[in-house]
Amino acid sequence: MLFEFKSGSRRSLGQIGALALVLSILLSACGGAAPTTQAGTLRVAMQPVVQMDPAYISSDSEVLVANHVYDYLVDIDSANNIQPRLATDWSISDDGLRYIFQLADGVTFHDGTNFSAEDVVWTFNRLRDPSLGLPTADLYANIDSIDATDDLEVTFMLKESNPFFLYDLSDNHALILKAGAQDPSTAFNGTGPFKVENNSSDRIDLVANTSYFISGQPKLNRLEIIFFDDEAASVNALRSGQIDLVMRMSTSLFSSLKDQPGIQSVSIPTNGFDLVRLRVDRSPGNDPRVIQAFKLATDREAAFNLVQQGYGAVGRDSPIGPLFTRYYSEETSIPPRDPQAARQLLADAGYPDGLSLTLHTPDTGGRPDLAAVLKDQWAEAGINVDISVEPESVYYGDNGWLEVDLGITGWGSRPVPQFYLNVMLECGAVWNESHFCDPEFDQLADLAGTTLNEDERIQAYKEIQKILIERGPIIIPYFFAQFAAISDQFEGFELKAFAGRTDLRTVSLISQ
Amino acid sequence: MIAAGNSGAAPPRGRRLNALLAGLYRHSASALGTSIVVLFLTLALIGPLIAPFGLNEQIATDALAPPSGKHLFGTDLLGRDVFSRVILGARQVLELAGTGTLIAVLLGTSIGLFSGYRGGWLDELVMRFFDSLLSLPALLLALLLLGTLGPSQRSVLVVIAVVYTPIVARVVRSVALSVKTKGFIDAARLQGESLGRILFREIFPSALPTLAVEASLRFSYAIFLVASLGFLGIGVQPPSPDWGLMVKEARAYVSQAPWALYFPAGAIAMIVVGVNLMADGLKRELQASRE
Amino acid sequence: MHSEHRNGDTLKIEDLTVSYHTGGTSVQALRSLSLNIRFGETYGIVGESGSGKSTLALAVMGFLPANGAIESGRIIFQGEELRGRSRTAMRALWGMRMALVPQDPLASLNPSLRIGAQVAEVLQQHLGLKGEALRQRVLELLRTVRLSDPERVYASYPHQVSGGQQQRALIAMALSTEPELLVLDEPTTGLDTTTQAAVLDLIRDLMRVRGTAALYVTHNLGVVARVCDRVAVLYAGELVEDGPTNGLYRQPLHPYTRGLLDSVPRLGENKSAVRLRSIQGSIPALDELPGGCIFRPRCSLAIEICKQDPPLNPSGEGRTSRCHRWEEILRGEVSARQKTPDASLAKPHTARDETILGMEEVEVHFHRGLTLREMITAGRPPGVRAVDGVDLQVGRGSTLGLVGESGSGKTTLARAVMGLTPRTAGEMFLLGSELPAGLGQRDKETRTHLQIVIQNPSEALNPYLTIGESLRRPLQTLLGLSRSEADSRVHDLLEAVHLQPEYARRFPVELSGGEKQRVVIARAFTTNPDLLVADEAVSSLDVSVQASILNLLSELQAEHASGMLFISHDLAVVGFLADDIAVIYLGKLMERSPVRTVFDPPYHPYTEALLSAIPLIDPAAEQVEIRLEGEVPAASQIPAGCPFHTRCHRFLGDICVEEKPPWRRNEAGKEIYCHIPLDELERKQSRPFAFDSGMEQRG
Repeated sequence: MLFEFKSGSRRSLGQIGALALVLSILLSACGGAAPTTQAGTLRVAMQPVVQMDPAYISSDSEVLVANHVYDYLVDIDSANNIQPRLATDWSISDDGLRYIFQLADGVTFHDGTNFSAEDVVWTFNRLRDPSLGLPTADLYANIDSIDATDDLEVTFMLKESNPFFLYDLSDNHALILKAGAQDPSTAFNGTGPFKVENNSSDRIDLVANTSYFISGQPKLNRLEIIFFDDEAASVNALRSGQIDLVMRMSTSLFSSLKDQPGIQSVSIPTNGFDLVRLRVDRSPGNDPRVIQAFKLATDREAAFNLVQQGYGAVGRDSPIGPLFTRYYSEETSIPPRDPQAARQLLADAGYPDGLSLTLHTPDTGGRPDLAAVLKDQWAEAGINVDISVEPESVYYGDNGWLEVDLGITGWGSRPVPQFYLNVMLECGAVWNESHFCDPEFDQLADLAGTTLNEDERIQAYKEIQKILIERGPIIIPYFFAQFAAISDQFEGFELKAFAGRTDLRTVSLISQ
Repeated sequence: MIAAGNSGAAPPRGRRLNALLAGLYRHSASALGTSIVVLFLTLALIGPLIAPFGLNEQIATDALAPPSGKHLFGTDLLGRDVFSRVILGARQVLELAGTGTLIAVLLGTSIGLFSGYRGGWLDELVMRFFDSLLSLPALLLALLLLGTLGPSQRSVLVVIAVVYTPIVARVVRSVALSVKTKGFIDAARLQGESLGRILFREIFPSALPTLAVEASLRFSYAIFLVASLGFLGIGVQPPSPDWGLMVKEARAYVSQAPWALYFPAGAIAMIVVGVNLMADGLKRELQASRE
Repeated sequence: MHSEHRNGDTLKIEDLTVSYHTGGTSVQALRSLSLNIRFGETYGIVGESGSGKSTLALAVMGFLPANGAIESGRIIFQGEELRGRSRTAMRALWGMRMALVPQDPLASLNPSLRIGAQVAEVLQQHLGLKGEALRQRVLELLRTVRLSDPERVYASYPHQVSGGQQQRALIAMALSTEPELLVLDEPTTGLDTTTQAAVLDLIRDLMRVRGTAALYVTHNLGVVARVCDRVAVLYAGELVEDGPTNGLYRQPLHPYTRGLLDSVPRLGENKSAVRLRSIQGSIPALDELPGGCIFRPRCSLAIEICKQDPPLNPSGEGRTSRCHRWEEILRGEVSARQKTPDASLAKPHTARDETILGMEEVEVHFHRGLTLREMITAGRPPGVRAVDGVDLQVGRGSTLGLVGESGSGKTTLARAVMGLTPRTAGEMFLLGSELPAGLGQRDKETRTHLQIVIQNPSEALNPYLTIGESLRRPLQTLLGLSRSEADSRVHDLLEAVHLQPEYARRFPVELSGGEKQRVVIARAFTTNPDLLVADEAVSSLDVSVQASILNLLSELQAEHASGMLFISHDLAVVGFLADDIAVIYLGKLMERSPVRTVFDPPYHPYTEALLSAIPLIDPAAEQVEIRLEGEVPAASQIPAGCPFHTRCHRFLGDICVEEKPPWRRNEAGKEIYCHIPLDELERKQSRPFAFDSGMEQRG
């Protein structure tokens, strides 16, 4: 569960003005569903699906299937930018409260009926209806009204401005259903590039939707989702040629595939990370010198290379990772590791004989390994830690993780960085495990979350990174990688940080 | 009438120990077992002197290196020398299992002797309580206890003691029950011997052969339990070179560095089999000396 | 003895040598043994432990354990060689043509099958009987072995019937196929005297009627005298003497046989008139046999020639003796007797008036341990009345012999005296002052006055403590001696029981049974006790050492002027050692008499039955057959009135059932608990046993 944050509510974020997202590439001449010839079958190994109602889906496999049977209104690409999908164009009012979407023409559902603005209205009304109690109700609570202002035009009215509203509309669950769909969990009546041909307990077979509205897509004739409980077994199946694509696997399994002939291995950094944090509202973390000592005693690159084997990205003590290309900054340099200086700082802070603490960590992922590495690194600076590895349920249970002085917590990848600031670092935030409380930081975070001016936001994020590097009680040694491996018979594969959102529409068989 | 010579239970002590060792080495299985146990005890004793690297010494450049002259058993994910860790783990495991077993044996023996000798409702009560403990699988009981106590070395000791004390107590009690009806216990009572002396000087020696076998079996199960708890990640904490923990850690990257898993796993298998073989031999020898 | 229908030998054993291998060494348990059992003959094999008698039984049956092997010699059964026969071939003989009656009946019966079914199985297997015919035949067999209620026994599981009934059932099984040879291995050893007598009668009669040949293995000279035509005496694996029972008992021609016969007190003999001659030393271990005559180290006649192996000399009338000097013995030129013990005959005690131990209406009732359920529900199972109102006195320097069969409560009474099992009612006095019931309430001084010789010497000493420590402890705990003082006293104690001081460093396992018992006696005398309780002090010992222990006990008792409560099931032994005798049955005393009056009428009917049941060590002795009916009632269901009325052969009628009998006393000091007046008893009773005048008297 490396990349999923504990399922929790997404916060509705602050207002933002026009997201100056120029529709960079129009992938197709929209409208005409020109017949294309599809070829080839891609067999994908995935963990079994549990539920298929888009409102409830959560696992990679569930999202992957849904993303190919249905369409989102807007999509997020692998560079974390918003892209058109069923909505071909949109405009945002200056006050950031009104969003008007133009919808693709000539789109049909798999049952042959036409797609129209009513379907979008129905879908989002369902998702936000508090009486239905769907997981998305909170996320869309900020929507005031949704109207089909034309046959192919939808207007959303917000209660408050939200600079990240388009990201919210691209939420995993926001797949457009046929208005009045009776049983979304079994009907599979989408507009997506593939139709469900067979749905059984061990696999789901999809066939190309030949009248898909984006011409030239999908390129494959068939998509077979084959269920595997065990990732090692799926990797073995890939090796033996029984399947063509595996997404999400351990670093170790991925490494073992690297030099395998006939297989292309793909690794991309995500914005998921392990957070090492010190509680600052009490001794010893309440002394800034102690925080500095920890930072100086840590070799982030070494931890990255050992624990993550060099996959992903080295961290810079800030949750705004390199995935967020526009916001990520390396302007503030991180001082090189200096255990002696750290020792001196501890002595100054009143710990001449060093500091003894318990380092708490859940037993999942590479966190126990990271703990062992840190123990070794810190020992040189006079920080002696006893490691306490706890089952995840114990670590997070009873909010113990919010209480301990020194801990390692895994944070999943999110489409926007504001999330981390709001829940993890702002004074009094629900999951502020370090109990960090810095007025300057809070002001900047608030600004970044509400301004409709992108440049202002970029600047705020830069300053936030500077603050966290200089005085934040957190160490982020690395960002995780997302892995996939695919048979070299295929091309056009582009992995996403959330593997389930990976688009296979563009994957094609290499012509002989 | 059938076998010539004396019959009875106890030749003098010195002769007994030598004969026991000679007996253990007469059969290849128990000789092998005893040798393994001796080997590991030696490692536990002098491990820190011969281990080439520290237990958490990380050589980043050597991470995941296969076995070589420098790293006899290769290295793990963090570049730690598996050979050194296996050797250092011997002390960790034997100390933990040994101390735990010792506590269980001391407690179990005392309770078993007293309960069996005293008899009556107290005995009934103690034994029913132990029965209820024994009705839970050892690992489940361990999990329950560790859930309450939190994972730590001391908790593991408590777990071993709680899991094995009832078993030892039962075995010792059954000896106490059969011995307390013997005439020499009547004689001791008539002499006005203290309870302590009756339990430990008069009854205990009769329990010793059975106890020796039971204790070594418990020891091997304790090693196994320590390793299991380490493997489940609820026993001792990293970066301890506990073999079970090493197996757990190495499992994540077994396809890259199988050696980091196979050597500690092999060590567990070897010592458990070794102690069991020795216990079998011990049982055989003690039985033979009684016939 | 009985008419022979056929001539010839049923079993011929020639030059048989059997050895056992243990731990890489090998010992010969039987060496060059030859004997012939003729058709219809009951051949007794008598010997002490380690003599090889059981090995012989096993070898004949082909039941030797895996580590035992016939080294040489032949076993010929009805003309067929048995040695080297496969197990399958032997199986055809077992049950059908030769059968075994083992020592422990309960261990030989299948506990989960009804007795009838077990007997039927044999018949079905070997004779192919079925259905009602089978059942009738089984019942007939059960009647043949004089089971009083065959239908009930037929339908019972082994644990539901008494030991005597189990043994009868086993004999029935053995006889069911009318085998030609019956091997009996101590078949009555676990049984009470009265039961034993009945089973012996049965065996003797069956042999006579059927003409079955039998190999009868036992350690009991009286049993041999009662049932065997011939007897072979085994010593340390060798046959030392062999001949017709009568002649052999009348004039033994081997010093060992003589020693055995002299070691055992005859019924009616007392220490005041007769000394027992024990055989010095003990049986050698089979791997440490002396060269030449193996009995030489213990023999009073040993001379130079005895260092050579003696041949088995024919000594007339079908007799043989493995002694170089048998002719001298026969001619009366030498006596094969052992030396008389140094001490002279026991003097009559002087201060008999002083009562050491007194008991009034002592009761020990107990409830078995309660189960958890009974604890909760407060339900109580019926109590066991182990001792049910006993009055007794033991005087200074005198010995009170307490006789009873198993379950009579005699051991419980001993434990109650010692405080090990607290009495539940009644009074006890020691030296005139009240003796508290429980051990915990008795002070150290009281405990010093009381000592016990614990029943079984192999259990009386802690196998893990040295002899020295076992002897030292009471000196430290009871007399408060320091360790070094105690150690030096241990030396004296060992000497007093004729053991070397170096024994202090030994462990019990290194001692023989007799030596252990000496240590136990030494421990009992550490505190110079006023009262010694000896519970079956000699019953687990071989007869050759039994005598020396009895002598030692009376010697030490005289020296310390202790009173003694001597408990045994063996009336001959008690009669020998005691000054007064009490007979106990189901927790109640039946008779209290001075020893000189015990063997003459009037008797309590139960005493009378006991006297008639004891197998006398004289094949020609006369004995009235009084056999008790039925089984001993359970101690939880003691009959009302006279507890003996259910089995009494002099049962009067309702009065015995309804009323407790009175104690009747005559001028000789005899006290009897019976409804029949003593003079009437005396009129009706005659002495139920008489030794043949031909037996040598001892002095």
